[in-house]
Amino acid sequence: MDMNLFIDRVLEAAKAAGIETAEVYCVTGENFRASAMDGEINQYQVSASAGLSLRGTVDGRMGYSATQAFDEAAITQLIEGVRESAALVEAEEQDEIFAGDESYPEIPETESDLKDVTPEQKLSMCLAMEKAAREADPRVWKVQRAMVSTSSNTVRIRNSYGLDLTDSGAMCMAYAAPIAKDGDKTATGGWMAAGSRFADLDPVAIGTKATEETVCQLGGSPVPAGEYRIILRFDAMQSILQTFSGVFSAENAQQNLSLLGGKEGEVIASPAVTLMDDPLLPGGFGSQRFDAEGSASKTKAVIDKGVLTTLLHSRKTARRQGVASTGNASRMSYTAPVRVAPTNLFFHAGDKSLEELMADVGEGLVITDLAGLHSGANPTSGDFSLLSKGYTIEGGKRGRAVEQITIAGNFYEVLKNIVAFANDLDFSMGNIVSPSVDVGTLKVSG
Amino acid sequence: MLDQNIAREVLQEAVRTGGDFAEIFVEDRIDNTLMMRSRRIETVNTGRLHGAGVRVFSGTNAVYVHTNDTSREGLMACARQAAAAVKAGGKGCVIEPFNAVSAARPEEILLLPTDVKAARKAEKLRAAEAAARAISPEIVQVVANYIDHVQDVCICNTEGVFVTDRRVRTRLSVNAIASNGTENQTGADNPGASMGFEIFDNLIDPARVGETAARQAITMLHAPICPAGFMPVVIDNGFGGVIFHEACGHSLEATSVSIGVSEFAGKLGQKIASDCVTAIDDGTIMNAWGQIHVDDEGTPAQRTVLVENGILTNYMIDRLGSRRMGMPITGSSRRQSYAFAPTSRMRSTFIAPGNDDEAEMIATMGDGLYAKKMGGGSVNPATGEFNFAVNEGYLVKDGKIAHPVRGASLIGRGSEVLLKIDRVGKDLQLAQGMCGSMSGSVPTDVGQPMIRVSGLTVGGR
Repeated sequence: MDMNLFIDRVLEAAKAAGIETAEVYCVTGENFRASAMDGEINQYQVSASAGLSLRGTVDGRMGYSATQAFDEAAITQLIEGVRESAALVEAEEQDEIFAGDESYPEIPETESDLKDVTPEQKLSMCLAMEKAAREADPRVWKVQRAMVSTSSNTVRIRNSYGLDLTDSGAMCMAYAAPIAKDGDKTATGGWMAAGSRFADLDPVAIGTKATEETVCQLGGSPVPAGEYRIILRFDAMQSILQTFSGVFSAENAQQNLSLLGGKEGEVIASPAVTLMDDPLLPGGFGSQRFDAEGSASKTKAVIDKGVLTTLLHSRKTARRQGVASTGNASRMSYTAPVRVAPTNLFFHAGDKSLEELMADVGEGLVITDLAGLHSGANPTSGDFSLLSKGYTIEGGKRGRAVEQITIAGNFYEVLKNIVAFANDLDFSMGNIVSPSVDVGTLKVSG
Repeated sequence: MLDQNIAREVLQEAVRTGGDFAEIFVEDRIDNTLMMRSRRIETVNTGRLHGAGVRVFSGTNAVYVHTNDTSREGLMACARQAAAAVKAGGKGCVIEPFNAVSAARPEEILLLPTDVKAARKAEKLRAAEAAARAISPEIVQVVANYIDHVQDVCICNTEGVFVTDRRVRTRLSVNAIASNGTENQTGADNPGASMGFEIFDNLIDPARVGETAARQAITMLHAPICPAGFMPVVIDNGFGGVIFHEACGHSLEATSVSIGVSEFAGKLGQKIASDCVTAIDDGTIMNAWGQIHVDDEGTPAQRTVLVENGILTNYMIDRLGSRRMGMPITGSSRRQSYAFAPTSRMRSTFIAPGNDDEAEMIATMGDGLYAKKMGGGSVNPATGEFNFAVNEGYLVKDGKIAHPVRGASLIGRGSEVLLKIDRVGKDLQLAQGMCGSMSGSVPTDVGQPMIRVSGLTVGGR
């Protein structure tokens, strides 16, 4: 069934079934992904997808149901699902459907060229990137992935108050992952770039950089266990911030899942730390005009020079605390319930380059890669103990490659101990990003 | 769910440009999830996943196109797109007559979860949460999740496979958070099975699940931080099997072996582990979380011996891997959903029982770590570097368990750690997890009896 017609029918059926307020959240998208290896395209995947969820209130309680089939049976399933779900839900503070804000911001358009890019151009980019990575150093044994992907998504919210919002976005990404061998030593690494313009992706630069990042890890070895002054390079700090971003959610704080509950206005980080959530960033991965509840997007500092200014709120968490929503209601997918999540979350950059930070540190380690974040980092306690790679800092300069070590610490303590951020903040790495950062000392085992 | 005439037409279209194999995967799946938090049922959600994918090979070149539109037109559009993208110049193939079979085994499921009211599912959450809270006032939060799914699939290909199957799974998961006001620690227990709602009659007692999670959180709240260092480690049975899963299992998947990337590529018949290690990946264990009747390419499940008395005997091989490696498929090609092309994955993977005494293992280890409950981990198959978290650990001093420690992680290289296993106990247990890889997140069991590793790097503070 045509999607517009299907949505009309669902909202009508909801009303007829006595669902007091109802809202359809619909995500449609197209994705393309291809990868090259050994000079040939070895993987090619294309998809078109649509998913829709209905949420609605019965006796003031919110039920959810979702589908990817758009037929008569699906309408019945959605309505019955919402009614059964609403009858059981007993949350103290209910979600509610929102009639909408008075106005919505416009995000300055970055002209996307993705509509005009042919599959052949994407395949050529895979091959060029693979070749560049392979030829950049004789020690490259294989490029296990040289991937180009593009995606476009449209989110639509329609509800029984007449709210009807649509937001679309398109992104492209290129990633190369070589394997280098030297004698019996093996090293892996990778490099990616992404954005809204295909023409900005430079396959040769990405491939070459991926190989540089890989071969420099050859011959790495552990360092003796102990306390080390640590710089987390931008990508390692990005992993940490992604893993622990949930601590800034008011929902988690209210549920005792974050230690930041009630700490608004208090110093929770060093004065070097300003953390922004900016949904209006032009071309940002997490940019959006409205959030998953239909609240207008707005930019805010979460941490301002070390002081926690606000947690991230949905309408429900905000009502509970008697504040306004920060526009951070989020649904992980069309089927997920409304939760709280950052949009474009990033630390303010400092003035110095990574090299200057290294010079300031003198002796220590730069960590460039962290593994096992889903298990070795606990978003509730803040504790982490992670397999790491990087290199030594000796006399303020880059030293030898380091691998098979763990760094261990606690995210809340890291925030307090941050000495300085570098000036290498790069929004093309994702929606949660960070500059490189001197985090003071951490415990290392090897 | 798929008309054979349409299927034939779609496969024909898919190999029109010279593809030498084509496959259709159609899926219709109902997921039910309930979440309880802060003493209340917070969300109850039903989702219906529906879609199909068409895959075409030309030699070892693979194209996959998927859609939500499973009508004839939708599938033909996928086939056309796939045919256009497949490398030209292939030899093509004939469509063999379908041998239509059902792999579903309704007799294994006593109470289909889609036939059970959500209110009864909510009762299980309440029982688990109440039991967790009752353990201690330091338990400040309990998050309990109930999930079930019924997945109907139809898989057919140009070689005459036409198989339908129904996969049913149910799982209860409890996370308990203990706090002393300034620090939080967590504990978890997540049992599940390829069973319906009868799982609560004969396998899962929700109260015990809640208690297990809460006890672990309390133990960790009162535990000092694990010291860092290199030491012997005893790893308990059940979820301890994640060590084999990460240190070895992923590196035995055709995904990395077939392109020569795995550290175990080319080592068939060679010694890769201690003599006391036999390891198996088994899709045939009835009602196991990792059980499959047929894999997602329509091949019947098998029991695959990977390592026998330390010698590498086999890999986990999917259809594409089989073409690359020139070895038979092992019925272990899996995918999260139609939105992923399938590839070689684990099912129920475990170290087989040995002959060693559990008490002796600890008594003779000197100073080290006893990892009672492992968390998840990950591995880089190309280098074999793995890491995983210890969710509940105890420091061992002079062969005696001294006290609990928190925040430990274990790191190493697969090829090294397998050779350092010097004890394998008798009491095999499986534990349930979700394993993420190229073809998405799939349910797998890990398992082992208690084992000892003579030395591992323990990350701590």
